[in-house]
Amino acid sequence: MEEEIRQILEEHGRLPVPMADLDNNADLYEAGMTSHASVNVMLALEDGFDFEFPESMLRKSTFESVSAIEAALTSLVGTPVE
Amino acid sequence: MTDAPSVLSSTTGPIRTVDENFCGLRVGTDLVPVEHVAASVARFGHRYVGRIYTEHEVACCQGSPSVVAAGLAARFAAKEAMVKVLRPVGHQPDWRSIEVRRDPAGWCSLALSGEAARMADEQGIREVAVSLTHEGAMAAAVVVALCAEGDTHADADADADAGHEER
Repeated sequence: MEEEIRQILEEHGRLPVPMADLDNNADLYEAGMTSHASVNVMLALEDGFDFEFPESMLRKSTFESVSAIEAALTSLVGTPVE
Repeated sequence: MTDAPSVLSSTTGPIRTVDENFCGLRVGTDLVPVEHVAASVARFGHRYVGRIYTEHEVACCQGSPSVVAAGLAARFAAKEAMVKVLRPVGHQPDWRSIEVRRDPAGWCSLALSGEAARMADEQGIREVAVSLTHEGAMAAAVVVALCAEGDTHADADADADAGHEER
């Protein structure tokens, strides 16, 4: 799951630094991800994991790090964190 | 004379701080590359458009793909500028609860509904005004809001939300 999340962030996060330079707890907004990019990340995650984010999870903190995204996905799609 | 930072001077009275004069005023701004919106429309299509923009907003952005992208980019900038004015802590209002309304004469205003309207009400925001622009590769918007006297949540919320992207 982590690698898929990183791949989606690399493709849609429009970060000015490679994802390889960011650890799982790095703040993606501080790293340069904009609100508009986070929308694309959200939609790409929905495509990649075949689900839809409920409105209750559409908060900035849901997408602020790889770890936060992984925790959100785990709670939604039930895939255990490796 | 106060020890607080002062930016307004007067030859006839004491120097006053910005906070003392304009405590009920907020401003938010945002800048969006048109190409980013065009790419989102191309990649996610109706899913992207439907999650972010209202029917009215989409109806106002018709024409060639580049014209559509420029209009939508300006509207996204307006929504984000309004979010900066609302200063949400944690939960973000639905993008569609911040709607750019275009008057037939061409100027725009903001219509808040749902959670955005609730947040605005809680923070004493009584009036908002928006200005949109796009030129070439970039689109931008500025939102100005007037808050009622005795605004309660704003300062604490802003302190709690400090950090992350510049606001």
